[in-house]
Amino acid sequence: MRALVIDDSRAMRRIVGTILKDFGYEVREAGDGRQALDVLEEGWTPDLCCIDWNMPVMDGLQFVFAVRANPALRQVTLMMVTTESETGQIVKALAAGAHEYLIKPFTADALRDKLALLGLLPEQVTA
Amino acid sequence: MTTSQQAQPISTLLDPATVQAIADEVWPSLVGDGEAFVPVPVAPPAAVVSAWVDIVGPWTGSVVLTCSPATAQALTENVLMTRPPTVVDDEDVADALGELANVLGGNIKSVLPGESRLGLPRIGTAPPRGRLDDVCALVGQWRGNFLTITVQGTAPHPSGTEVPQ
Repeated sequence: MRALVIDDSRAMRRIVGTILKDFGYEVREAGDGRQALDVLEEGWTPDLCCIDWNMPVMDGLQFVFAVRANPALRQVTLMMVTTESETGQIVKALAAGAHEYLIKPFTADALRDKLALLGLLPEQVTA
Repeated sequence: MTTSQQAQPISTLLDPATVQAIADEVWPSLVGDGEAFVPVPVAPPAAVVSAWVDIVGPWTGSVVLTCSPATAQALTENVLMTRPPTVVDDEDVADALGELANVLGGNIKSVLPGESRLGLPRIGTAPPRGRLDDVCALVGQWRGNFLTITVQGTAPHPSGTEVPQ
């Protein structure tokens, strides 16, 4: 499985990426929504995007809108991974087309639980 | 636009115990298993560096994390899980300390009333504080090293006029 980790913090990309690699994911990173769209336009289609909300250039919500406007990317699962934890923000992200929402700080177990909910936990991790 | 001068001071909206509870979640998740921000003050260092995020809303101000440059470097090594001989550079420190401030700030924003916006993290010399009662400071340590988390109102504009947002 493939995951694209989108966060302006290299530290956070590394944390999320390391956990996903431990789960068996092939991981690529992007520092903002625009860079992430560039990766998708290359033809590298992930199963999962982990998306920070507050980023320069293009924020996470704009990225979700952009992906959802492209029918070719319909199968990509979008999960917000952000400090934005107010109900209004969560509703806004889900209404825009995000599938799941993980609030920072989180543990590897919390990320694993979200992936299990989404049916995106590789079999060897589930076992 | 509401300024921190007109809004309720942070001391009526937030207490140090809430900030400590947030730090208790952030440290193990970002800094590492078993790591903790301990609210026991130690002597401040001669030089400090700060990372902060701004909150703009019914209450406007900043969440500031301050420590010595050496502590910032050690925190970064933990956040990035680097081991010698890998050396973290200034960009790594700015990024890791900024993300710690960002996660602290985002969680503090969530317990404040009303809808607020969170800015992007910045690093350097902490912004000036506003009113004396518009501060919620947690002075403590990480691994015996001085560290503070300060939630502070925006300083009034020098001219006394409203601060543009």
